[in-house]
Amino acid sequence: MKAIIDCNSFYCSCERLFRPALQNKPVVVLSNNDGCIISRSDEAKALGVEMAGPYFKAKPLIEKHGVAAFSSNYNLYGDLSWRVMETLRMLLPPHAVEVYSVDECFVDLSHIRRQDLAAFSLHLRETVEQWTGIKVSIGVAATKVLSKVANRLSKKNKESTNCVLVLDTPRKTEQALQRTPVEDVWGVGHQYSVKLHAMNINTAYDLSTRDVAWATKHLGGVTGARLVRELKGIESIQMMDELVNKKMIATTRMFGSPVRELKDIKEAIATYTSRAAEKLRRQHGAANTISVFVVPREQSHSTYFRHGPTVGSHIILPLATSCTHELIKPALALVERLYDATKVYKKAGVMLSGIVPDSSIQGSLFAEPAANKNRMLMSMIDNVNFAMRDDVLKFASSGTTRNWKMRQELRSPRYTTRWEELYEIS
Amino acid sequence: MDGEQWYGAAYKGSKKYNQWQVPTANATGFGAAADDYMERGIDLNEQLIRNKPATFFFRMNSDAMTEAGIFSGDVLIVDRSIKAVNGKIIVAILNGELLVRRLQVHIKGVTLLAENKKYGNIPVDEFSNYAAWGVVIHSIRTI
Repeated sequence: MKAIIDCNSFYCSCERLFRPALQNKPVVVLSNNDGCIISRSDEAKALGVEMAGPYFKAKPLIEKHGVAAFSSNYNLYGDLSWRVMETLRMLLPPHAVEVYSVDECFVDLSHIRRQDLAAFSLHLRETVEQWTGIKVSIGVAATKVLSKVANRLSKKNKESTNCVLVLDTPRKTEQALQRTPVEDVWGVGHQYSVKLHAMNINTAYDLSTRDVAWATKHLGGVTGARLVRELKGIESIQMMDELVNKKMIATTRMFGSPVRELKDIKEAIATYTSRAAEKLRRQHGAANTISVFVVPREQSHSTYFRHGPTVGSHIILPLATSCTHELIKPALALVERLYDATKVYKKAGVMLSGIVPDSSIQGSLFAEPAANKNRMLMSMIDNVNFAMRDDVLKFASSGTTRNWKMRQELRSPRYTTRWEELYEIS
Repeated sequence: MDGEQWYGAAYKGSKKYNQWQVPTANATGFGAAADDYMERGIDLNEQLIRNKPATFFFRMNSDAMTEAGIFSGDVLIVDRSIKAVNGKIIVAILNGELLVRRLQVHIKGVTLLAENKKYGNIPVDEFSNYAAWGVVIHSIRTI
């Protein structure tokens, strides 16, 4: 059997861990630049605060009800996410935990006997909460897609299910599928849900009764067939090992406030390139393609949240590299090509692709000595930055003014990762 | 690479090392005599942290616990996986606030004891909202 373990309102739960007064109170967490609401506690949901809604729109409601609002504190969330996953890894056999996102993971429970599944899942839930302070919901079923169905229902009925739902009989599975609208099935996007409703397929159960050949024809071939098979309880999506080597590395950010000057955009791009190159080196890779894109604000509308079309371009390098300065140079050339002085920019990003293993690491006999020197320089920069943090060593092109930096006015202290920001207790 | 596989589920600390991290004398002459006795240095993470994902740090900012040897400015190592039982110094949640006190469990319930005569003990009654947050296992003080 498979399980999906999902943290309840994860970012809000992280904020509550060090602010117990907010237990049972409405809490929201805002995205980068305090733009949108990206996490809501149950109490905030009950007040009608909308997910992914812009903050300024919800502000009257938030102020009226005294909802606690936080800027996202990714240092805190990342650390607590690691703690949750590590706790599960300690309680389960090697390779049984597949981290799916910051707040959810799939777990292979094939070593647990059927009659013990509910008790064991409850044990996992209670241990994670005891150790990390984070509440999780667990859905258990024969396949990944069914476990998602179970998880959704466990969250909808927290009181009666105790946040654990095991679909261990065909009858329970059937009832769960009947109570799941087809658009809430994992992997059914908006377009397919419209199409399915038009065919009078309204629940997950309706979909599960279709045969595989039908799904292949109407639901996008292999993926659709796999989805229907999973709904029927036939395992078709396997557990994956951790994705160690990414094929693409992107660093994208919204600017703190709209940016007009070429100089500022170049600084931002140089900074994003440094970050992406650092990630690249961490997986011992080298990239031969660099893409840069910028997003101008739509001219005709003054509405705060309208984006213009993305403008982007890429360069293929003669040799794959992982050196920051060898990547910054083409990136800045791309910015100059894309920049239009009549526009105001909201967002920019860098993407590295064509990633191959870094051959300079082994210090091969045939590599130029210069490549090894660069490699050592980069290792040194990475070590210093990792130890001292806050990018103490950076390339001058990343700039010192940083007019474009993220806004995070309501961020809580980084209680778990910074010695200077520990919780002061009395 | 696969360092994690070295120890089983029973080990919950933060040990991550391999044989190459044991230093050698690197001597060209006779100094190598001590090489047979080289071992890893002392790692405070190993000594002070029992269960890494459940361990948190706090900074003491009051003198309520001075008689237990905890002074203002000390860093407290708190383990959430240890059960808060009678006599332990704990981080408690009391009416929405975090507090460090000694836990006393008795027939009538729970009392949070201060370790400084200037502070009162706090009886936890039915009107207060109490829970244990974690157990203090070490205090670090700069002398």
